[in-house]
Amino acid sequence: MTSVPQNLSTRLAPPAASGARRHHPGYGRWTPFFFLAPAVIVLFSIGIYPTLFAIATSFRRYNITRRADQQDGFPFVGFDNYFTVLHDRGFWDSLLLTGKFYLSVVPVQIALGILIALMLHRPGWSLLRAITRVSLVVPLATTYAVVGLIGRLIFNRDFGVANQFMSWLGVSSSDWLGNPTGAFLAIVVMDIWQWTPFVALIFLAGLSMVPVEIEEAARLETKSPWALLRYVQLPYMLPGLTAILILRSADVLKLFDTVFVMTRGGPGAATDLISIYVQRVGFKVFDLGLASAQAILLLILTIVLSRLYIHIFYQEIE
Amino acid sequence: MRKWLLATLSALVITAGAAVGDPTLARAEWALDKAAAPYKGTEINIIFLDRPGYRAIIKLLPEFEKKTGIKVNYEIVPYENSREKQVLNFSSKGDLTMALVDLVWIGEFAENGWIVPIEKFTSDASITDPGLDLKGFFPLLLDAFGSWGGKVYGLPFDNYSGLLFYNKCMLKDAGFDKPPATWQDLYTTYAPKLTNPEKKQYAFALQSLRGETQSADSFMRVLWPFGGSLLDKTFHSNLMSKESQTGLKFRQDLMKYMPPGVVSYDHVEAVNALAQGQVAMITEWSAFYGTLTDPKTSKLGDCLAVAPEPAGPAGRLPALGGFSLAVASQASPQQQKASWLFIQWATSEDIARAYVEAGGVSGRSSVYEQADIKAKYKFVEPMVASWQKGVPEFRPRFPAWAAISEIVAEVGSKMMLGEVSTEDGAKQIGARMEDILKKEGYYDGKKALRQ
Repeated sequence: MTSVPQNLSTRLAPPAASGARRHHPGYGRWTPFFFLAPAVIVLFSIGIYPTLFAIATSFRRYNITRRADQQDGFPFVGFDNYFTVLHDRGFWDSLLLTGKFYLSVVPVQIALGILIALMLHRPGWSLLRAITRVSLVVPLATTYAVVGLIGRLIFNRDFGVANQFMSWLGVSSSDWLGNPTGAFLAIVVMDIWQWTPFVALIFLAGLSMVPVEIEEAARLETKSPWALLRYVQLPYMLPGLTAILILRSADVLKLFDTVFVMTRGGPGAATDLISIYVQRVGFKVFDLGLASAQAILLLILTIVLSRLYIHIFYQEIE
Repeated sequence: MRKWLLATLSALVITAGAAVGDPTLARAEWALDKAAAPYKGTEINIIFLDRPGYRAIIKLLPEFEKKTGIKVNYEIVPYENSREKQVLNFSSKGDLTMALVDLVWIGEFAENGWIVPIEKFTSDASITDPGLDLKGFFPLLLDAFGSWGGKVYGLPFDNYSGLLFYNKCMLKDAGFDKPPATWQDLYTTYAPKLTNPEKKQYAFALQSLRGETQSADSFMRVLWPFGGSLLDKTFHSNLMSKESQTGLKFRQDLMKYMPPGVVSYDHVEAVNALAQGQVAMITEWSAFYGTLTDPKTSKLGDCLAVAPEPAGPAGRLPALGGFSLAVASQASPQQQKASWLFIQWATSEDIARAYVEAGGVSGRSSVYEQADIKAKYKFVEPMVASWQKGVPEFRPRFPAWAAISEIVAEVGSKMMLGEVSTEDGAKQIGARMEDILKKEGYYDGKKALRQ
């Protein structure tokens, strides 16, 4: 066995408890900066700079297809864009619809997610559980646009499996994407299909944190699965629930591809979620000032909702 | 000796005169490879769509690249993203050297100075084919697709006309030996006999998915033939006029002969409904002829027939659409010239036949006069008939159309669903559209009333 060189063992030795911290001779004042710089630069260029640019743009008349705006140098207009957004009925209708969509999908995803997580947490059937865990990743790994295309096929009136399924239940075939309620239900179903596995995996991670001895002790104490869930397992799942609520809120606010491919926001305005609305203002009309104001308001909404979730649901596990 | 001199001089004079006066001779001297020699190795960039006309030119591209040494880079994008991609590229001084200009973008691209009028290049004999012959294009196409404010910017490349595609076997079974000549015929005579909801068979399908399909293919299609229009001469809404309302109400009435859920039909669904025998007639772009004749995508076979769109009380004013190619002003002078050579070649009479045979629809009139082309492609005659008369502003081509189209798409599909009446819908579109046009400066004389 080779012995550790004298100088290396000195280097590896923890700093003396008393006296000033001693660093390697190559460690200078800027060393931490160099290590942190790549992450900060990337974060700044893809996160902070675009946000600051959007804030600046939201105070300007900034339509890149309007020559007058370009000639005027995209002039500063104060809070005009924000006033326009606040008085825009279409924006509020879309936001309300997005809220309705969120309330339709998230409770179902949570309920199904808990159910799946509990089933996967049960002892036994280890091979099947492993296969199920892997297959849960498939919807998550599917591109949003592809989910939309699959949705168009599933809900096709003539050859879609949705109508096939309904006919087995004795319900006459329906034109899902051609009527407002059907189209809304269709995008709800596709979102539940795609994101329930994510919720289930987060809950499963929470369940795996429950100490085995506590769970075993609880099983000896009670035969009620509900009591076990409520008093032993749920406290470990709550931090995950907060993460789910925050991530799903942000996701729903920016959910675009699937809905655009399936319905383009129609028929009428039945699936005109806020992301579709903002995209239209930003990249069809190219009114980047107005679209930025809308995006900033949505950012504020996301932050407020996140703080609210943390305040209400989050608690450290003792 | 003197005689010999005189004879030689006379011959020289005659030859020189002929060379100056005869464009065929000038043309013989101009050659694409020679003209392109200074631009060998230049790379030019353009956006293409995943449609037959683009697949056709891609097939022919190696010939151009071999002849000229110019490298054509193309990126295929969905139509829905093509404007967005180009606008962002042009406004950020990107790498595109050419613009693919949809009929409704010409005003926006030209007014923003993103594309160059062709006169900049036609004045340079070294890069302009003497056989360019702008008169060889259908005048309606050159006017609608390529011109704005009296100047030509682009040359018609991927050209469409709305046509009536129909299943003549279904019509025959219902007792009709020819297609409806008017919309009224279609509604009163043909549609009741061709509709049988129990068998899931319908007379007609009008693609009406929210988006440009709703605004251009569905909404505008019922305005013009009935004498209506989107705007009046002062650029105020004309949707409350008797004619416009008649057209919009006609669409509502006709819906009972269309498959349920037609509001969710894009082009693919409408074409498929005809191809699979679910509907007897559709009005679609000429470009879908290939899909409907391909046994892999259609079971129509010999039952497919094509006619011009039915006429309305105001005459036959079919949907008009298509794309021109224009040189981008952001390109370097070298790239601009190379791009101009490509555009001339891609839209030239020389390759028009090969382009049509590869699946494209040329804007050159002469190719459709060839008997074998007429015989082989059933869509040619009705399409040529449709291009004789039409309205370039079938959809307004000014920059505000993108915003207006979104409003029409939203309210237009609500009308079809019965969520709003044609009158209330027309009022809503009118108010929101006029608000946009006011901001654009059309009502205070800042902008010429040009559409």
